[in-house]
Amino acid sequence: MKQNTATGSDSDQTFDVIVVGSGITGGWAAKEFCEKGFKTLVIERGRHLDHPSHEYTDMKAPWQLENYGLASETLKEQGRYSQLLAKKKVLKSDSIQFYADDAIYPYSFPKERPFMWTRGYQLGGRSITWGRQVLRWGKKDFEANAKDGHGVPWPIGYDDLAPWYDYVESFIGVSGNKDGLDSVPDGVFQTPWELSSAEKFIANNLSKKYSDRHLIIGRSANLTQPSEAQLKLGRMPCQARAYCARGCTFGAYFSSLSATLPAARNTGNLTVITDAIASSIDYDESSGKAAGVTVIDAHTKTQTSYKSRVVFLCASALGSVQILLNSKSKSFPNGIANSSGAVGHYIMDHFTGAVGMAEVPGLDDKFSYGRRPIATYIPNYRQEKADDVDFIRGYGFQTTAGGRPNSGTTAKRAGVGVKAKAEAKQVKPWYFRAFMYGELLPYFENQASLHPTKKDAWGIPQLHIDAKIRDNERKMIRQAAKDIKEILEVGGCNNIKVIETDKDKHITVGNRTHEMGGACMGSYPKTSVLNKWAQAHDVANLFVTDGACMSSCATQNPSLTYMAITARAADYAAKLLKQGKL
Amino acid sequence: MKDFKITRRVFVGAAMYMVSAPLFATRKNTVLDIQHVLKDGQFFSAQELTILIDIAEIMIPRTDTPGATDVFVIPVLDGLMLTWASNETKVQFRTCIEQVKSLARDTYLAEYSSLGLTKRQHLIEQIDHSSFNNKNTKLSRNYRPLKEMIFHIYYNSEQANPDFVLIPGAYRGDLSKQELEAITARGYL
Repeated sequence: MKQNTATGSDSDQTFDVIVVGSGITGGWAAKEFCEKGFKTLVIERGRHLDHPSHEYTDMKAPWQLENYGLASETLKEQGRYSQLLAKKKVLKSDSIQFYADDAIYPYSFPKERPFMWTRGYQLGGRSITWGRQVLRWGKKDFEANAKDGHGVPWPIGYDDLAPWYDYVESFIGVSGNKDGLDSVPDGVFQTPWELSSAEKFIANNLSKKYSDRHLIIGRSANLTQPSEAQLKLGRMPCQARAYCARGCTFGAYFSSLSATLPAARNTGNLTVITDAIASSIDYDESSGKAAGVTVIDAHTKTQTSYKSRVVFLCASALGSVQILLNSKSKSFPNGIANSSGAVGHYIMDHFTGAVGMAEVPGLDDKFSYGRRPIATYIPNYRQEKADDVDFIRGYGFQTTAGGRPNSGTTAKRAGVGVKAKAEAKQVKPWYFRAFMYGELLPYFENQASLHPTKKDAWGIPQLHIDAKIRDNERKMIRQAAKDIKEILEVGGCNNIKVIETDKDKHITVGNRTHEMGGACMGSYPKTSVLNKWAQAHDVANLFVTDGACMSSCATQNPSLTYMAITARAADYAAKLLKQGKL
Repeated sequence: MKDFKITRRVFVGAAMYMVSAPLFATRKNTVLDIQHVLKDGQFFSAQELTILIDIAEIMIPRTDTPGATDVFVIPVLDGLMLTWASNETKVQFRTCIEQVKSLARDTYLAEYSSLGLTKRQHLIEQIDHSSFNNKNTKLSRNYRPLKEMIFHIYYNSEQANPDFVLIPGAYRGDLSKQELEAITARGYL
């Protein structure tokens, strides 16, 4: 384990707060507590990374990348990255170092229902590779569970989070347009990215026909007008490279490495240990509180216990579930904070299954420059069940026509020689793509549990994840395919193509990397794990503020909501700490 | 041995990729217009490299823009065989070379590297056509991945991307052709 302490105290193992995980929520918890004056320990299971890091590859041209950008084929032969290899656009040589290898960090799933668990085991976690689309949830998203009876009703509403959305957006920097839509409320925005001519064309056509379907520019955690505070942290405006997943030397997109952890470090209250695998939360039977966290050195496998007054679990949705379930005691034989039996249940993710694409005509004289780092978006317009559909909840579409496409090459089709070369990479008509992102209902049966026999190299039981989409989601896909065809027609597109996933084909949950649930918030200790502050009903000084706390998954990218929940929970916990109540 | 020389482009290419690829000493047969590689590479034999360099150049010839040889596609590929290729791919590519040689013998009753350029071009064009016309043949299964890799290396090379901008600085999505050309000419927005 490597300890990086700002306090100079490397022997002291007692802290005010322990934060498990250094990703998008762990960074926020660390920043909030450190800025409020609490000695805070961040435990990260992966290696240390600096910012900027020598592992970033954002300054390399395509011909400078290892294997010309391709992930090595030998990975498959060696049985490495067995699930992530299916994501060819994700697993490339420019960023593979930021993804955990399931050959080293195994997990389990039913053979017939693979689950894709994308992990980033390094300081900064997945905040280095995240999608940066930061959309607020709307009022109806928080009301859905109570309204239709699926999952556990949210104990908070939009108004509870609104000021924390403001707070988070102000710090991370969000480029966006004030669209005035209830489904994705406006926030604190920097200058939005520009729609391309093709996107403007479609958006304009949609606005003439629909009152409920809008094509908007994505809201991106890439700086376009950095504030003084952001500049002070060494962050700079986005340079429109769209190499974000490689790490950003400019610190232009928000990550915990570039923003929250430096802010926390600046206070002098932060201690970080890396290569430290949190195996369990220690429970003090006499006080009824969490006493601290036990970690295993990733290299020596020696155990160390750290003590604190408060524990914030920010190890990612499934990572936190694994730690909770593995934290067994006399009072909690099935895992800490699990008197409800709900820990590990209601696993969710977004899913796709309908993809639309089409040419955008009449813009042959229009071009683009630069690589916009964010897509466009059609927000969910089906939150209210309509008479013409047979499902509940809804879906949005992640869309894009950010750059003028070209004809490509004949690498995968017939053609060699002078003619084929001359015809390669010729400019083509604008092309628009739309990927459905549906809301997976919170099913109790979609569950993560500890495998009864399989353990990892550190002796921790492997997580077994069994989740699938069901009838409601299949119906959504069917309707989304119809909808996107109509939307593209109304948008004025030509040569429309819609791909609908076959109803019998398995859709891998986790594929969208928006896994949520497993320790859901709710008002009642008998049915939920956390209260409205993301505080464990059973253990007052234990908070879970990553994706595990989510009671439903809505359709929007969730990280902004995780951050807002974390900042709000940290503020609440800090007040309790100051009052001596924790 | 006549007309033996290390051509400038092969030398520069080898120098650029010396970490991953050895120097390819070549002998140019000006009559047949083919470069004979004289020493084995890191993965491929000299004979295999001779054929691969020729195939790559037929696929992507030098025109008013660089060809596969100018871009050192095969020296790069030779290095990638050690860092990127699976055992299956290694077998596929080698088998593909053997299949090309065999087809040359069957079609022209001569070794591939002794054929004139026109016949070599015709042979590769036929292989390309048939490989995509019927993807279930052994030749197709070996040829298509090789072609894909040659194209990947070429079209991701610096020479094939003269307008590539690492740091555009900003994004504009609604430009006229004249505006784009002006930006490209000055290299910034």
